[in-house]
Amino acid sequence: MNNFEPLIAVFSCHYCSYAAADLAGSSRIQYPPNTRIIKVPCTGRISVNHILRALECGADGVYVAGCLEGTCHFVSGNFKAKQRVQSAKSLLGEINIEPERVQMYFMSAAEGSKFANVAKEMTETIKELGPSPLKGTNTQ
Amino acid sequence: MIVAERKPMEEILAEIEDFQKILVLGCKGCTTVCCSGGPKEVETLSTLIRMDRKQKGKEVETLEASTELQCEPESVKPMLENLANQYDVVLSMACGAGVQTVAKLFPDQRVFPALNTNFTGMAEEHGVWTEACLACGDCILGKTAGICPVTRCAKGLLNGACGGASEGKCEVSKDRPCAWQEIYHGLKRLNLLHYLKEKPQVKAWPIHPGKVVREDLRQEKAT
Amino acid sequence: METELRTGVFICHCGINISGVLDIEDLCEYARTLPGVVTVQANLFTCAETGTSEIKAAVKEHDLNRVVVAACTPRTHEPIFRASCQEAGINPYFFEMVNIREHCSWVHRHDKEGAQAKARDLIRMGVAKALFLEPLETFRSKVEPKALVIGAGIAGMTSALAIANQGFEVILLEKEVEMGGLLRHLHKVAPSDMTAAELIGEKIAAIEKDKRIQCFTSAALEEVTGYVGNYAVRFSCGDESYSDKVGVIIVATGGASLKPVDLYNYDGEHVITQSELEIKLKDGNIGAKSIVMVQCVGARIPERNYCSRICCMVGIKNSLHIKEIVKDAKIFVLFRDIQAYGVENEALFFKAKEAGVRFIRYSLESPPVVEDGKVKIYHAGMGKEISLPADLVVLSTPIVAHDDAESISRILKVPIDEHKFFLEAHAKLSPLDFATSGIYLCGNAHYPATVREATYQALGAASRASIVLSHDTVERVGTVAAVKEELCSSCFACVKVCPYQVPHMNERGKAEIEPMQCQGCGICVAECPAEAIKFAYVSDEQITAACEALYAA
Repeated sequence: MNNFEPLIAVFSCHYCSYAAADLAGSSRIQYPPNTRIIKVPCTGRISVNHILRALECGADGVYVAGCLEGTCHFVSGNFKAKQRVQSAKSLLGEINIEPERVQMYFMSAAEGSKFANVAKEMTETIKELGPSPLKGTNTQ
Repeated sequence: MIVAERKPMEEILAEIEDFQKILVLGCKGCTTVCCSGGPKEVETLSTLIRMDRKQKGKEVETLEASTELQCEPESVKPMLENLANQYDVVLSMACGAGVQTVAKLFPDQRVFPALNTNFTGMAEEHGVWTEACLACGDCILGKTAGICPVTRCAKGLLNGACGGASEGKCEVSKDRPCAWQEIYHGLKRLNLLHYLKEKPQVKAWPIHPGKVVREDLRQEKAT
Repeated sequence: METELRTGVFICHCGINISGVLDIEDLCEYARTLPGVVTVQANLFTCAETGTSEIKAAVKEHDLNRVVVAACTPRTHEPIFRASCQEAGINPYFFEMVNIREHCSWVHRHDKEGAQAKARDLIRMGVAKALFLEPLETFRSKVEPKALVIGAGIAGMTSALAIANQGFEVILLEKEVEMGGLLRHLHKVAPSDMTAAELIGEKIAAIEKDKRIQCFTSAALEEVTGYVGNYAVRFSCGDESYSDKVGVIIVATGGASLKPVDLYNYDGEHVITQSELEIKLKDGNIGAKSIVMVQCVGARIPERNYCSRICCMVGIKNSLHIKEIVKDAKIFVLFRDIQAYGVENEALFFKAKEAGVRFIRYSLESPPVVEDGKVKIYHAGMGKEISLPADLVVLSTPIVAHDDAESISRILKVPIDEHKFFLEAHAKLSPLDFATSGIYLCGNAHYPATVREATYQALGAASRASIVLSHDTVERVGTVAAVKEELCSSCFACVKVCPYQVPHMNERGKAEIEPMQCQGCGICVAECPAEAIKFAYVSDEQITAACEALYAA
């Protein structure tokens, strides 16, 4: 399990975190290649079911990255996302899956380095947690 | 509407432990409106069940469906008959009435409730519901400024405050306003304080289980 | 019935930007194995003329109905490829873009293996999602070439004139009996020496002369329905009720100055407000020699924590005006901080100091105490309390929102902040717009502003509004939510969570979302417990498809 490379799904909003990821790119900030972005207009589009589905389908971790608090392009979408991430975490806890596999982050479109740092941080977190327990018996 | 909440996953998972094909059956009535058992919650619960089984390396098949009204046999019967043989167990996300309707229609079928039915309530805001009606069968809200003492007074008193309230809060809990104090202020606002001087009517408490029969609506049976 | 889905995948080298890190040949090979893919082509630059021509040619040759481009960011290049799709005869929304440059080759240069695996995954996810893309329609609606301006203060009058000067009709509503707003009561306007009467007199005359502006005084807004280009408005003027149609609305409802009831012994006689002082200044009769001004009265306190910004300049300006009338007046200004930004304001501040106006700082913990004929204040420099003689005490109170701000915000369905000032869509990106298209704001309704700022904002808001008015129609791409009525449980969740208050219950008791008003965030879609709201632009099926394609076993 030393070489475990986690697969991490990222739900990014068009206006902030997707743009931050673009900026990380144009600034050539290097970060681990474990994240896979799914773009949505606003993180408020993401429901608990999407988060659970990503985990069920093989993601070892999922995070939702929205605009900074108070600056959501759609006023309150990132707050809805935060609530739903919280709800996903508690549901995971109920079925004995580490809630830390799901996180919420906030960043502005100008924070390319934050996007990279978050990707790094999340990759580290999930590496420590190990592969998703849903990948079951074949991880040995 | 009827307000319900999902049971803890541990309890749900234990109930269905021995089954492999699970019909998660939502209701598009009250439990959709109170966000506990509609199509979306059905999807969430089904996903959680699959994730749990996958984790344990046990097989499971989930089937998702939602009845229009699970307390209405006409809504339940055709749907379940259509799905016959596709499931071993029904996990109902309706209120207790919905669960019982399924059980009554299909007496040989195992049915489990995925929800705890809490009360008949009103929406305070999105995500907050309060108990409002105990279904006593003899409504006196017209005399109490629209505030139900049967439900909202901790003691269910019908003839005024108990005297235990302090600063407008019930002695049972500081978060709970004294219903009778609210009734007093409500009546005062409406210039109806004299209602309080009237002798309370003797209440016709219902005999459980209640039954409502409307002869004018029943289908006449051909003799 | 089902048409066969035929996807073409185009993978861009982007010179060496992508191909320098990723093995394009391998990606092409991989893409060919994906479901629905009938052709895969690599381009040196997919966005160049040659690249887009290849897309168009491939659509014809392979009868494609879905196009996936793996290249750079859709935030800049999506429109180019959507246009290519449209030119090739397929709906521009049957297009999906995969970002393998900003999100891959540029950021994983040192881990080519990891980058390659990621690029494969991203392409797989994009292709999977493409199978669930839906065509979107464009909604078009006629623009009523008329504006409604609410409030005929300096901001409203300026906006109205600016719009009328562009040739559009304007309805101007004023709730008071005459136009002019707060300026009606003021003496002179800093930092110029112009009198307020002159300033508003000019505007009022211009408005009265302009046939394109219909001004209603003693008027009240009653109802607004509709959307950008097509608002139906109802208002009253006296006992008469009026209905009309307008394309845009400008909120210029202004503010009021706080009445300092129970503060510093305010009595309206010996202890007055700056507004009351302005009346004395107009009359040229101050009736006092020792004057103490107290700044931040009722402002920057816990229950009203904002700075009203303009009161410092009002105090400074009025000190100088007093000096003009009463040459030997002794004036003390008790302040917490001085807000005198900008060249002219700062010059005025220095001028006041030079003229002998004394400024003493106080803190919120030890505020001045107004007594009969004097004001006691703790002087930090002297380290003790001093007593200042005062025949007249002038309190500088903040601009506060009007009492009716809340009801206007409800009628227009636009937000207000905790202090009931109207809230713009975005502080930097759209400072004069509301999130609801076709409604704009300016002046004190937004936040305390000087005459000059209110004028800037009014001209800006008028320009923003004219963009809409100068077109015959407004267009809205169908990136909007729509209720599948047969699935709606009438639970009101969408009505409650929409940040723009767009969903409403229709006459059938089901939720309805007006496409021209929907902003396309998808919050209601994710919230609906009945899964009754469809969002073709980013559907559940698309998100799920991408999730399912995350991991290749």
